[in-house]
Amino acid sequence: MAELEIANLVKDYGAWRALKDVSFTALSGEFVVMVGPSGCGKSTLLRAIAGLEPVTSGRIAINGRDITGDEPSDRGVAMVFQNYALYPHMTARQNMGFALRIAGRPQAEIDAAVARAARILRIEAQLDKKPKALSGGQKQRVAIGRAITRAPDVFLFDEPLSNLDAALRSQMRVELGRLHAELGATMVYVTHDQTEAMTMASRIVVLNEGRIEQVGPPLDLYNRPVNRFVAGFLGSPRMNFVAAEVAAAAGAAVSLRVPGLVGTLAVTGVEARLSPGETVTLGLRPEAFSDDPGAGLALDGRIAVIESLGRETLLYLEVAGLRAFDSESHEGHFAVHRTRQIAARQGDPLRLGVDPRAVYLFDASDRAIAWPTVHA
Amino acid sequence: MPAFTRARVILYGFVSLWSLLVLLPLLWMVLASFKSRRELFMDPLGLPGEWSGEAFGRAWGVGMGQFLVNSLLATAASVVVIIAVSGMAAYVLARSDAGWTRAIYLLIVAGFAVPVQAVLVPLYQMISGAGMLNNLAAIVLPYAAYGIPFTTVLFFAFFLDFPRELEEAARLDGCSRIRTFFSVILPLSGPAIASAAIFQAVFIWNEFVLALLMLTSPGNKTLPVGIIQLRGEFTADWPAVMAGLSIAVLPILLIFVLAQKYFVRSLAGLGK
Repeated sequence: MAELEIANLVKDYGAWRALKDVSFTALSGEFVVMVGPSGCGKSTLLRAIAGLEPVTSGRIAINGRDITGDEPSDRGVAMVFQNYALYPHMTARQNMGFALRIAGRPQAEIDAAVARAARILRIEAQLDKKPKALSGGQKQRVAIGRAITRAPDVFLFDEPLSNLDAALRSQMRVELGRLHAELGATMVYVTHDQTEAMTMASRIVVLNEGRIEQVGPPLDLYNRPVNRFVAGFLGSPRMNFVAAEVAAAAGAAVSLRVPGLVGTLAVTGVEARLSPGETVTLGLRPEAFSDDPGAGLALDGRIAVIESLGRETLLYLEVAGLRAFDSESHEGHFAVHRTRQIAARQGDPLRLGVDPRAVYLFDASDRAIAWPTVHA
Repeated sequence: MPAFTRARVILYGFVSLWSLLVLLPLLWMVLASFKSRRELFMDPLGLPGEWSGEAFGRAWGVGMGQFLVNSLLATAASVVVIIAVSGMAAYVLARSDAGWTRAIYLLIVAGFAVPVQAVLVPLYQMISGAGMLNNLAAIVLPYAAYGIPFTTVLFFAFFLDFPRELEEAARLDGCSRIRTFFSVILPLSGPAIASAAIFQAVFIWNEFVLALLMLTSPGNKTLPVGIIQLRGEFTADWPAVMAGLSIAVLPILLIFVLAQKYFVRSLAGLGK
């Protein structure tokens, strides 16, 4: 059990600053998932923790021990690489025992460690095969096994599932969850896949342009994002954003008008002082639309794309005179998620309501100022 | 005839002609080694009237066995030195971003441009001054010096493509740079090593000028130089010379046929 502490980490590549004063602590036994778009610095951060990337300034410590300048092998970390990085000339058994062999451990100890890891990962039958003879999933297990045999304080995973097919990926997600529960070890996991982040993490660290945007448990981040970036990044399909104008404001209650839509939206619990005429961004999760517009805001449109997934349906709604920005579709269509089958065709008209209790509001600087009080 | 087929016929025709051009002298050499001295001049292009292996006996008699051993030793030693030195040098050069290592790399590449004839005299003086004449080191060292630039460039291209994650995994597993090189990189460099070794072995096995200059006592001669002994001042035992050459060519031809894939790859790899 180990606590990983990262303080004021900065990493420069020449004039380009990849990590900008990053600080966070992974508590003992936590599964921390670092997530963000390509180039946000998540892999650089992981490599810095592993010691593969020297940092410009800042401090990395495990259980209070400063490891910032230590060699990778002296840090008490083990890393699982995206493309497995298994030694092709060694069998799975040799791959898994290599670190202990280098450390000069007795053969009996190496054998025992490899056997234990193989049992946990259920790869006993594959131990004497070379990586070439293993499937993608088996290779990934051997790579994880190699990390387990080292009995590290902190496990580091660099997008370990991105080379696997969809079915295997969801299977391995469950496996990794089980592994974490079984080993109780501190794990730091990097991914660009928000599904992996939401399903596996004890806490998620959302990174953007070398900065931490928000840290917290998955549902906290989903329900109470601090800004538009986090709100847009977590959730698939993405949140729909539209510009709205404050029609009236009275303390924490505001009435909003959306140019292009009929009606107003009365939002309560706004944590900012807004004045009439001000422009804000309205955030609508795909699952937040109601079938009955009632007296509130109504969204009238035509179905541009319909994706029937059996137990759920995804619709992309084209609303005349209104575009959702930063949305999943480049045409500005509204993503709508229904938890049932819908007998509709492309081009059919659809009228949806917007529940004022299920919307997010962001101010002009993209800071979140209101969150839903009900969740679909 | 479609244009594609015509192009194929022309290409195959050209390649066949070229192969004949290369193979016919080789065939003549083997046939000549079975002829008598008289027959060689009376009927140079015909088949041997009587297949006789006597010329091989005469060739062997002048010490071919010793020459063969010398050639094997010189080739093996040179290849080992070349592979070891250029392998390690290329790894460092491929992994370093420092400007001075780039300069060293350019200097090594420049080594290509020095023709051996241009340095024969100073080389002879150096080897002679070091007291190494008539010693295998007298040719092994210059061979290594001439082989290293090519092999370094070959390994350099190979190491640039070598997956970095494997080295990083090795670092995390506790390997030092040296240990990573010997435990992870070297075992996975088989194709590059084979390519380099075969290319250099063919060149060194056939090398004549340096060996002629540096090795004068009969016990130290390599095959190409040793065979010359069969040619006297006024007369020459040509069938024996041809038999000697046939023996000399055989081992390298065998290696080439078995491993020509690597030989071709070593040349193709240079384009990187």
